Amino acid sequence: MASAGTEKGASPPGRRQLLGFLLGSSVFASLASIFYPILKFVLPPPSGELDSDTVVAARLDELAPSAAKIFRFGNRPGLLIRLPEGGYRAFSATCTHLDCTVQFRQREQDVWCACHNGIYDLRGRNVSGPPPRPLEEYDVHERGEEIVVARREQA
Amino acid sequence: MRTRCRLVLFFLTVGACGLGAQSPPSSPPTNTCLDCHLIFEDDEHLGVPAQLFAGDIHAARGLTCAACHGGDPREEDSDKSMDPAKGFIGVPKRADIPRLCAHCHSDAVFMRSYNPRLRTDQLAQYGTSVHGQRLRRGDTRVAVCSDCHGIHDIRPASATLSRVHPLRLPQTCAGCHSDREHMKGYEIPTDQWDEYRASVHYRTLAGGDLAAPTCATCHGNHGAAPPGVASVERVCGTCHVFQEQLFDQSPHKQPWDMMELASCLTCHGNHGIQPTGDFLVGTGEEAFCINCHLEGDGGWETAEKIHAALVGLDSALADAAGLLDQAERAGMDVGEARLVQANARESLIKARVDVHAFNAARVEETVESGLELAAEAHQAGEAALDELAFRRKGLGLSLLAIAFVVFSLWLLIRHIERGKEEIIYKHEQ
Repeated sequence: MASAGTEKGASPPGRRQLLGFLLGSSVFASLASIFYPILKFVLPPPSGELDSDTVVAARLDELAPSAAKIFRFGNRPGLLIRLPEGGYRAFSATCTHLDCTVQFRQREQDVWCACHNGIYDLRGRNVSGPPPRPLEEYDVHERGEEIVVARREQA
Repeated sequence: MRTRCRLVLFFLTVGACGLGAQSPPSSPPTNTCLDCHLIFEDDEHLGVPAQLFAGDIHAARGLTCAACHGGDPREEDSDKSMDPAKGFIGVPKRADIPRLCAHCHSDAVFMRSYNPRLRTDQLAQYGTSVHGQRLRRGDTRVAVCSDCHGIHDIRPASATLSRVHPLRLPQTCAGCHSDREHMKGYEIPTDQWDEYRASVHYRTLAGGDLAAPTCATCHGNHGAAPPGVASVERVCGTCHVFQEQLFDQSPHKQPWDMMELASCLTCHGNHGIQPTGDFLVGTGEEAFCINCHLEGDGGWETAEKIHAALVGLDSALADAAGLLDQAERAGMDVGEARLVQANARESLIKARVDVHAFNAARVEETVESGLELAAEAHQAGEAALDELAFRRKGLGLSLLAIAFVVFSLWLLIRHIERGKEEIIYKHEQ
């Protein structure tokens, strides 16, 4: 009695196994190529969201009055200031002169660029030194325990 | 002496008419001068001034022709309105104009009722200017108030049509200072406007930055005078604060003071100041340093070190930027690396300011921190490109895998189809 594999017209077991292996492994590889990007999308990236119009700039209890912090807004730095009388203001931290990063000076109560001594007031207006334009101002909102900064819509 | 007496008489007469102590009128005053002069239409001397006066700030504030020309603008009879007994002086003499304007503009109490913010020291400043000093010596070709502010169409300096608006002031000064015929005998150049027009300051001004320096920023306005060697640094330092501070600490300060070299001007020039570049410091053909320093001296070596440091960081930044651009164009996220790149660039900007201390160690220290950041940005760019290559290979492999699936399925289907055909064949037999 001859085995099925030796019957005329039937595939030999080696070929059938190879076919099964090829099919199984390529299905596995295809599924991996589909699920890998999905997994990468679901897991949080090591850095924050980019090019968005809003960002969480600080926690509500993070800044004392008359203090400030630099936060990342897209691929540019932003400056969040907690005013002495309360309330927040946020600006682009990029100096309008040569793109250096500006900083809040608590003692002078101004925003200062260390590159060429450009000075802005706490409304972001260029008041001294080479900066030709005011700093871009952002909207600031409190959302639960977070301070959210949003880009203003262009008029 | 006679002129002075006439002026005193004029001011007394005008004062008697109540101008000096007047408050701004609540309704438009009677100004019969215009009724007649407007009839002359396009007559350059009689009609045009009357037409222009409609746009003048003094007219807007309720002043009449009599404020400068005297007379009585309420009288319809020209003999009465232009009666010298009523203070009519006709066209004021050039030499008298500064004091004529100052009659109101130096009166702080009077000016407060019109514009409390306006300064009242213009005449005092004018007296210190080259213009004022020459006028006092009898030179009536120098600028007086009306040459800069206009005559019958004077506007506030903030008005865009004002001759002293920042965008128009250089041309106003050039009206005399670029006129070779007019400037003959003064022995000063007449190419300031041409030079300034090609300068970085003018380009900034014309680009819309009204805070950019014009003639008055460096020379003063009413007290216009050349800054002089001693004060050039202070003048430039009003905007370029750090450069001034660093220069004061630099080894150049003392010898240049002794040699009476004007600090900033010696390297950057005056009216035609051009954007700076790293090539200006060092020992290359275009470098300023080689004008004084010789190969082998300390300054030469410092210049070489400073140049090498700046160029090194600039080049490292360009490499990093190139990689990041490439990765970004390919769709990779390099936002974090862009922040690092911006910080590295900031170090370069600071190092370029540090140059004014002419201290190689100081520049190298700033450059060093920039190089570290540039290296970080460079690595991030390489990592992004590596990730891009990995993704491309992954895409290739996954496409290959999908092709295998399709091929294997085809083989499987064919195998099943053949099996079915054999069973049917056997069944039919």
